[in-house]
Amino acid sequence: MASLEVSRSPRRSRRELEVRSPRQNKYSVLLPTYNERENLPLIVWLLVKSFSESGINYEIIIIDDGSPDGTRDVAEQLEKIYGSDRILLRPREKKLGLGTAYIHGMKHATGNYIIIMDADLSHHPKFIPEFIRKQKEGNFDIVSGTRYKGNGGVYGWDLKRKIISRGANFLTQILLRPGASDLTGSFRLYRKEVLEKLIEKCVSKGYVFQMEMIVRARQLNYTIGEVPISFVDRVYGESKLGGNEIVSFLKGLLTLFATT
Amino acid sequence: MATGTDQVVGLGLVAVSLIIFTYYTAWVILLPFIDSQHVIHKYFLPRAYAVAIPLAAGLLLLLFVGLFISYVMLKTKRVTKKAQ
Repeated sequence: MASLEVSRSPRRSRRELEVRSPRQNKYSVLLPTYNERENLPLIVWLLVKSFSESGINYEIIIIDDGSPDGTRDVAEQLEKIYGSDRILLRPREKKLGLGTAYIHGMKHATGNYIIIMDADLSHHPKFIPEFIRKQKEGNFDIVSGTRYKGNGGVYGWDLKRKIISRGANFLTQILLRPGASDLTGSFRLYRKEVLEKLIEKCVSKGYVFQMEMIVRARQLNYTIGEVPISFVDRVYGESKLGGNEIVSFLKGLLTLFATT
Repeated sequence: MATGTDQVVGLGLVAVSLIIFTYYTAWVILLPFIDSQHVIHKYFLPRAYAVAIPLAAGLLLLLFVGLFISYVMLKTKRVTKKAQ
């Protein structure tokens, strides 16, 4: 058995000892939700399907921030259907933000890898086995889903939105030289220790928070791998990008430029 | 793949950039080596514009960006004041 072999060879470096055999890796998916009553059953079903088909050990942690539309009840029913060893409901009373949702979720995570993604069906769970494969391939600390490399892309955006997105990414590449092609993406796989360390160090909010994570990861010399993904703009609900978002993005970008 | 119009716009942008690039390169790098009596000089403005035009364009861009940012910030200030 792999674990027996590992303990019998003390000369192996500590890093190798920390890598478990594929059968022992467990992947915790953190799903922060707010008013996702309609999407939640779908995303959970897709996650369970991808993981079961690839024989991966997983758990899904749903962090609901007191959604008024009854997302929490839906989550409780899902817990009954799939079992409370697979679906963990860890709600909070009110909307407290993404960073704190991750911290809260990680406290209850028993996996050694954490996957973060959007619960509104813009990220498809079918890419998760590819993330896992990529991570093993290069022993990466972080694997990030990218919309700007390979056959990654976006479905459902009009030309104006796409240009703004590309322009923002271009500006970011020039100013921050991050070594990753998609900084504002939030479909990622982290080693648990790495995510804990990064959240500790990050100070910003919103999608600047996602950018700061990658920049800090580079600072701390963590390795980052990339997998092209398709981002599908919200199937349900509205998503707008106003002048306000653009200006706060620029402010965040300049802050990162000045402080890292 | 991107939709039809998006691809056309994209190709258009690439074409325009290529044209500007070749024109500017010819203007600044090739023309000094060509005899001043040659007919090709008719198609290019006096060399001083090779500096003036990009400079003016850069300033206009900065102006536009500044105006946009000021407009958005003023609008949000007005909205938050109204909400209070």
